Amino acid sequence: MSTTPEQLYNFGFIDEDSKREVRRQILKAIALPGHQVPFASRDLPIARGWGTGGLQITMAIIDAGDVLKVIDQGDDESVNAVNLRRLLQRTTGVTTTVDTTAASIIQTRHRIPEEPMRRDQILVLQVPMVDPLRWVEPNLERATVMHGESDYGRMWVYMYESVVKAGDLRIATQYPVIVAGRYMMDTTPIPRWDVMRLHNAEALFLFGAGREKRIYAVPPYTTIEPLQFEDFRFKTEFVAGQICARCGAQDTFLTSHFVVDPTNPAGGYWRTSCSDTSFCDKRVLVNTTNQEAPQ
Amino acid sequence: MTTPTWILQASGLNKQYGPGCPRCHQFTGPTHNNSQCPVCNTVYACVDAGFTLHQGEVLGIVGESGSGKSTLLQMVNLATAADRGHIWYREPRTPDAEPVDLLQMDAYRSRHFRNDRLGIVYQRPELGLNMRFTVGGNVAEKLLLANWRHVGNIRARIRELMEQTELPPERIDDDPHTFSGGMLQRVQIAKALSSSPSLLLLDEVTSGLDLSVQARVLDLIRRIQWEQQMTMLLVSHDLGVIKQLARRTIVMKNGHIVESGLTDQILEDPQHPYTQLLVSSAL
Repeated sequence: MSTTPEQLYNFGFIDEDSKREVRRQILKAIALPGHQVPFASRDLPIARGWGTGGLQITMAIIDAGDVLKVIDQGDDESVNAVNLRRLLQRTTGVTTTVDTTAASIIQTRHRIPEEPMRRDQILVLQVPMVDPLRWVEPNLERATVMHGESDYGRMWVYMYESVVKAGDLRIATQYPVIVAGRYMMDTTPIPRWDVMRLHNAEALFLFGAGREKRIYAVPPYTTIEPLQFEDFRFKTEFVAGQICARCGAQDTFLTSHFVVDPTNPAGGYWRTSCSDTSFCDKRVLVNTTNQEAPQ
Repeated sequence: MTTPTWILQASGLNKQYGPGCPRCHQFTGPTHNNSQCPVCNTVYACVDAGFTLHQGEVLGIVGESGSGKSTLLQMVNLATAADRGHIWYREPRTPDAEPVDLLQMDAYRSRHFRNDRLGIVYQRPELGLNMRFTVGGNVAEKLLLANWRHVGNIRARIRELMEQTELPPERIDDDPHTFSGGMLQRVQIAKALSSSPSLLLLDEVTSGLDLSVQARVLDLIRRIQWEQQMTMLLVSHDLGVIKQLARRTIVMKNGHIVESGLTDQILEDPQHPYTQLLVSSAL
């Protein structure tokens, strides 16, 4: 029997000692919700900044019986998602899926799936920039002290300035939140639409930043409070009248893309559709078979 | 007449930079006109300093550059950790409460204390202000730290403070670098006053300003002190500033307090040779 190249690697690519170290940091992160825990980010066959943090977390916690889903911007079929899924599948042999409800581990970049996650599921987020204080304090050491002392006054000034300069809270992504009333956390580039879906959720959320070598977590049933003022409240993205061109949804996070007219290359139109493609596919299927839409 | 209550009592404050050696005391101090040990290069920034500050009083600290006056102020501001000593603080709003030693507080509590009960104005505005934020944002910082969460109320309070410190309120959203030096000092004062502190620390606030601007800033400080009965600790190397504002003064040289007493007394009848030199130079 010949050995395939993938079988030359350990289960989940990284060695067991490395996995154990990552798992220890995950446990610490869960014990201190929102606190950034340093970890020794390993070299992987993909470049740092392309999801290595999330990938190492997934590699450390995945088991042969897990069902894996990998998405990028809500899409199961984007290049990044396909490559990460292929790497994980080849080095673990686990079953993969595009169905959120069927997955036990979901690795994601930029989105939380539309379907509510259960307590037996884990969402692993790939994080590009870890620290929300980076906007106001570039020195990492000083920012660490600020976190330690809950010294978030400067971040509040940043929010105040946002209101003064733009007339409203104009932070599109990476919205800062206070986790469990203690640590300020960056919500990674998930849209504001997804921020409150972290609040008191049933699933475990793990955040990994390979380039910045940090892990943090939001355990189940943890409070998430976005930074907001009494007269300028946190709002999610919503454009009245916009619907998904495929499934007709009005209650999902929509993305728009330009569709080129094949008969006239200079022409075309903008089309909106669900960012979560698998959820959209489910709804399309339900619509075509005239069944009840998934909740 | 009731005796004014002290709100701050410092004793035995020491700050040195370096390990120290058995021969340090032979070479450092005012008698040797040196604060750095030539053997081990340890700098004695502040040695056994102490003072009492009463409510509503302005205490001046005067001395040449490197005498340790700013180090002493920064220890009171809890920004520089003292090696030894005590700073007892008695909350003026609850004078019957037990005094607390500020140097025994943990980092979290001392940061809250600094924000709530202390205000500081530096010589260089960039030390006290964040030049990336607007003037309003800078003044708002202490309010936001004190859990003010209504932008409308915050801006009303900033405008009130700007009027109080003779700044045009319509410039609330301007960047600090569009302000003159004297105006920036007033922005710092507005920021320091925003949390209604018990103690205002002033570190060379008029140095580097021209005479007419100096006079306006000093008038403002005097008015605030008079109207709010604000307790102030004023550091300056300018005896003219000390004379105008401080009721009592301590004189520092090479990290040591060499003389202290009523400002008039020190200026008219200085006892220590260094104070005599300082007064005669100013005159």
